[in-house]
Amino acid sequence: MTSENGALLELKNLKKHFPIGGNFITGGHEYLKAVDGINLTIEEGTTYGLVGESGCGKSTTAKMILQLEDPTEGEIIFEGRNALDKKSSAQRDYKSKVQAVFQDPWASLNPRMRVQDIISEPLQVNTKLTKGEIKTKVGEILDQVGLHPYQAGLYPHEFSGGQRQRIGVARALALNPKLIVLDEPVSALDVSIRAQIMNLLMDLQKEYGLTYLLIAHHLATVRYMCDKMGVMYLGKMVETADTDDLFDNPTHPYTQALIGAALPYHPDSDKEENILQGEVPSPINPPSCCSYERLCPDPENSGQTIGYKEVGPNHSVAIAEDCYSEHGCHYFPRVRQ
Amino acid sequence: MATETSSEQANKDNNDNEYVLEVNDLQTYFVSKWGTVKAVDGISFKLKKGETLGIVGESGSGKSVTVTSLMRLVPSPPGHIVGGEVLLEGQDLLKLSDKEMEKVRGDKLAMILQDPMTALNPVFDIEDQVGEALGIHEGLKGNTLKDTVIDMLQKVRIPAADTRMKDYPHQLSGGMRQRVVGAIGISCNPVVLIADEPTTSLDATIQAQYLNLLNELQEETGVGIIFITHDFGVVAKMCDRVAVMYAGKIVEQADVREIFNNPQHPYTQALIASVPKMEENVDRLYAIPGNPPIPNKPTPCQTCGEASPILVKHSEDHWVAKCGSDTSCQGWFPRDLD
Repeated sequence: MTSENGALLELKNLKKHFPIGGNFITGGHEYLKAVDGINLTIEEGTTYGLVGESGCGKSTTAKMILQLEDPTEGEIIFEGRNALDKKSSAQRDYKSKVQAVFQDPWASLNPRMRVQDIISEPLQVNTKLTKGEIKTKVGEILDQVGLHPYQAGLYPHEFSGGQRQRIGVARALALNPKLIVLDEPVSALDVSIRAQIMNLLMDLQKEYGLTYLLIAHHLATVRYMCDKMGVMYLGKMVETADTDDLFDNPTHPYTQALIGAALPYHPDSDKEENILQGEVPSPINPPSCCSYERLCPDPENSGQTIGYKEVGPNHSVAIAEDCYSEHGCHYFPRVRQ
Repeated sequence: MATETSSEQANKDNNDNEYVLEVNDLQTYFVSKWGTVKAVDGISFKLKKGETLGIVGESGSGKSVTVTSLMRLVPSPPGHIVGGEVLLEGQDLLKLSDKEMEKVRGDKLAMILQDPMTALNPVFDIEDQVGEALGIHEGLKGNTLKDTVIDMLQKVRIPAADTRMKDYPHQLSGGMRQRVVGAIGISCNPVVLIADEPTTSLDATIQAQYLNLLNELQEETGVGIIFITHDFGVVAKMCDRVAVMYAGKIVEQADVREIFNNPQHPYTQALIASVPKMEENVDRLYAIPGNPPIPNKPTPCQTCGEASPILVKHSEDHWVAKCGSDTSCQGWFPRDLD
């Protein structure tokens, strides 16, 4: 079941502001705006890629979707219903349909639990299956992710990195989820193993109609796996488009810089280099939003509101809405060195 | 294909004196009660002045143990350099006493580590840490030392170096910290600089800045760089020559273009094919089945069962690990299949 426009998950003006300083009675006086009003729509059966550098808020977004953090403001709409509804039946339903695969398979599996317990725990909590049924189900899931059912009795340390990530995927699959949040699922793995896991994830998607939100910083991985993608910068979405369109026609200067900074695939590659100057400003008190392209003539009163401009079908880019200059700057606050 | 063999031959082909570093048949083993792990098992390579050699491999392939062996920093016990020679400008580092080695380390042979937060000491400011090696090796003091430190920080493009050098590591961003580590590395004008995955902890845009900086520093100083990485993108951008390591051995060694255009060893071919490219959208990646073996027991090739490969010359300056004279096998490629 999805909402009218075919969207499985919609984020509307989602914000997460962490209070800084103060104490637990007075609270903070300043806020770190980790995620500051992002909108995105993921259609059923597709993969959405979220890219950006560390600190841009992509993991906080994932945590809010997994309800490990409460949003400060905004809505999460899942299957046409408000996912932030605190009613326990709604919560139980949401949390079994939205699962996660984490980055580090050494840290995300409990070393004291056998594989069968890791995979069956969500089944014991959320379903009324008998012990025998659970055992059969665990065997089936292990088979789906390319492990042998006899390995169910082993502990995580008896597996290699790639196999451990397969166990992580198996755990996410146990409750037949709709949406799986993949937070850097291959970046902790060896190069020769990454393709195995990416192919496994794509095969499972085809077979079960899964929807993925992929968080990654490696652009080639995103191009390989995603249908649509969004580029995040300083808690905001600066460009969203269909994946191929975004790589072929990057519009925002930050997207251009990310693609320009990606490493060549061949020593004779004629890829243009685009080295970004300056640094990402602190998300506590960011400077006015068009400070990269030209110095704002009146930073107090302009370049503070972010807006979006459509530059093609499904392709929008963040601009400074009240910019003084006539052509309008892109939203791109930056600290100059 | 020529059938000349053996690693020494690979090294004796060229004129010896243009090389700043020569490693011959280096073997580093880790001994424990569960057995001996041959982490580095007889590898040889050479480095010219101003050249960058990439050592590519995945975790456990022995690339980091190789460079810690060059620096003679292998924790012992359990690690032992059991054989081979490391000639830095003709001087065998493995024959030096610990005292003599201290004089080489950080001076002629320097290293940039992966994680700048652990490579820098949090309780000393930048000036102390960049100045330490200069004080020890060059005997600089007082204002001369201070000026040299500022000079080094400017070389790695740290803005306002004279005030920034009073900062502590936590006050700098990740990219800046790695620049400081780079400044320490080049401070005594090393002949060979070892960079052990220096950019894996950096963001993409910062990584590009840093790699360009290393290239510029190399052009200025002519330092030979050994670049340890698992990323073929870094290899394509930085390296002149490439040695691909697998299970403690070098399985292929050639010029960087030769490696990309004409890879001979099945592992090199598979690695290049299994990495997605940003420039094009492929339907399905090639995935290498199985896992790399742990070299704690003989590692037989999965095709022909041969456990001790030999380096065979494929073409001028291009060497491939093969399973003996049996040419039907494409290359020595052991793999744990599950």
